[in-house]
Amino acid sequence: MREDQEAQERQTYRPIARLSEDVSRYFDLDRGLVDRAIFHDAALYRQELRRVFAPSWLFLAHESQFRKPGDFFTTYMGEDPVIVAMGRDRKLRAFLNACRHRGMRVCRADAGATKAFTCSYHGWSYDTSGKLVNVPNDEDYPAHFDREQWGLTEVAQLDTYKGLVFATWNPTAPPLVEALGQMTWYMDAMLDRDPEGTEVVGGIHKWVLEGNWKLAAEQFASDWYHVNISHASALMVMSPSGKGPRTEIVQTPGRQYTDPLGHGAGFPTHPKSRFDDRVVHGYYDYEALRERLGDARAEGPMTTGHATVFPNFSYLPVNGSVRVWHPKGPDRMEVWAWTIVDRSMPDEVKDAQRLYNLRTFGPTGIFEQDDGENWSECQATAHGFMAGSMTLNYQMGLGLESEDGIHPGTTGRLYSDGAARGFYARWRDLMNTPAWHEKDS
Amino acid sequence: MSIHPLEPKAPPSVPSDDDMRLHFEVQRLYAVEARLLDQHRYADWLELFADDLHYWAPVRTNRLRRQQALADGSPGEVAIFDETRASLAWRIRRFDSGMAWAEDPPSRTRHLISNVLVRAADEPGEYVAESAFLCYRNRLEREVDLYAGGRTDVLRRDPDDGRLLIARRTILLDQNVLLAKNISTFL
Repeated sequence: MREDQEAQERQTYRPIARLSEDVSRYFDLDRGLVDRAIFHDAALYRQELRRVFAPSWLFLAHESQFRKPGDFFTTYMGEDPVIVAMGRDRKLRAFLNACRHRGMRVCRADAGATKAFTCSYHGWSYDTSGKLVNVPNDEDYPAHFDREQWGLTEVAQLDTYKGLVFATWNPTAPPLVEALGQMTWYMDAMLDRDPEGTEVVGGIHKWVLEGNWKLAAEQFASDWYHVNISHASALMVMSPSGKGPRTEIVQTPGRQYTDPLGHGAGFPTHPKSRFDDRVVHGYYDYEALRERLGDARAEGPMTTGHATVFPNFSYLPVNGSVRVWHPKGPDRMEVWAWTIVDRSMPDEVKDAQRLYNLRTFGPTGIFEQDDGENWSECQATAHGFMAGSMTLNYQMGLGLESEDGIHPGTTGRLYSDGAARGFYARWRDLMNTPAWHEKDS
Repeated sequence: MSIHPLEPKAPPSVPSDDDMRLHFEVQRLYAVEARLLDQHRYADWLELFADDLHYWAPVRTNRLRRQQALADGSPGEVAIFDETRASLAWRIRRFDSGMAWAEDPPSRTRHLISNVLVRAADEPGEYVAESAFLCYRNRLEREVDLYAGGRTDVLRRDPDDGRLLIARRTILLDQNVLLAKNISTFL
C-alpha cells in the first residue's frame, strides 16, 4: 500500500532537491533582533516556498464565492496557481492549475462557471472534480496509459473555518482547526458576529507591491505602532474636528495577541468599542454582540483591530477586509483583498460596509495608500549590501507579555512587536524543519 | 444628436457648427481637468463636477469569452473608486493635510486625454462623452506607473453659468491586477 502511494506521488510531483539553510543565525528573538536578509535573499525565498508555504494551511477563498456545481475561482498557494471548484457533488476541491501533460494553466479566467477545464495547448480536459475526462488522440498512448492516474494534482487537505476556505499540500499537516489553534477565538470576533455568518461582496481588489510579503503579514500581525504616524492624514480626515486624531486614539489602551503557531492580532480595548462607519455602527446591537461574543471580545478584537493568520492571510474586522499576501519573488507581493459582510445585514448596511472599506483600504484607500509607500521603500533600501545586512529592532514590548486572564493565550501591550517576534519564531522553525516532501533527501 | 458616427457604416455626415463647438468645449474641459490634476489642485478639480456626482471605477476580471458580460464589475461590488462629492472631498482633504506621506514628496503626473466622442444622452440637456486616458506617474527617483483606460462621462450644463459639469464618470482601467502600489491621484 505504502509503495503504491509512493509510486503515485512519484508520478505526481518530484521536488528539486536543494540544500536548505539553517536560518537560526538571522534571529535573536529573545533580544528582539531580526536580520534583514530574510526579506530579500533569493535562496531563502526559494526555501520559504518549500518549507513555509508548501507545508502550511493557506487561505484560498470564501465559501460564498461558490453557489452551484461548476462554480470556480482561481488563485495562488505560494507561487503555485490553483483552481478552487465546486464539483457536481457540491464538494469544494482545489487543484494545481497546471495541465499534467505539459504544465500549462488549464484555466485562465479569474472566476466563473464551467463543466470542464480544457487545456488550450493539446486539449486534455478535466472535469470539476479534477478527473481527466478527455485526451485527444488517446489511441496513440501506450496500453497502460490510465486517465485515472492523470487527474489534476489535488491539495492534500481542504477545509473551511466559518466561511473561509483553506487548503494545504501537506498530507501530514494537522487539521485546520488545530492549525488555527487559539487564534479562532480572535477570528470569531469578526466571523461569528452574526448567527448566519459572513459572505463576500462581489469583486476583489488585486494590486502589486514591490515589497516582500512578510512586511505586510508581519504588520497586520503586530503593528498598531505605525497607525498614528503613517496614517496621520487619514486619522485627521476621520476625526470629528478634522484637525487631527483624537488623543484617545493615540493613547488608546489595547492588547496584542501572539500565538505559538505564528498568528497574531492587535486591538484597542474600550468599553464602548464601536464600528467606524455610521451606518454600520447604527446597525449593530452592541448589547447583543456582548452576549454573543462575551465582553472581552466585544471590547477588544471585535472592531478596530488587525490580525494575521500565519503565514499570509490577514484581516481587519472594522472594515470587513480579508486579504492574502501572495509572494511573487523575494522583492514583490500581490495583494488580493476581499470585502466580507454579515449575512443578516440589510442591503444598505452591506453597501455602507463595502464603501467604507474601499474608501479606507485597497489601492486607493486613504489608509492603504501610505502602507504601499512604506513597504516598497523598506524593500528598495534592502538592496544595498550594508542596508541589506542590517539588524532590525523588534524590541518593543519585550518582556511585557503575559497571560492576562481576559484574552486567551499570551498577550502584551497594544504597542508591541510581540506578535512579529512570534511570527518570525514560527517562520524560523518551519524554515529549519524538513517538509513532508523532503523525506528522501 | 450624434456628432460622431460610432459605427463604421453609419451614413456620412458633415458636423454642424454646434457639433464642433460642443466637441471643442468637451476637449477643453478635459484639458483643463488634466492640468488641474497634474498641478495637484484637487479642490479646484472637484469644482468641475456636479453636486450629485458619481465617480466610479469598477474592478475588471478575466472571464471566459461566453461570460464576458461579467468581466466589468457591477454597481454594488468592490471597486477602485465608488465616490460621491462628500467622499471625494474626504480624499482631497487627506491629500491637503500635509501628512499624506504617499504623496510627500509629491509624484509627477501627466494625464493625457484623447479619443473624445460626444453624443446626446437620453436625458434632455445631457451629453455622453467618451474619452481615453493615459496617466503617467513618476515618483521619487525612478518609480514609474502607467494607468491607462477609458472614461465615459455624463455631462450637463450648470444652470447658473452654462458651463459643462461632469455629473457621472465611469472609469475602466485597462488592468486586472493593478500594476501599481496605489493610485494617489484621480483619473
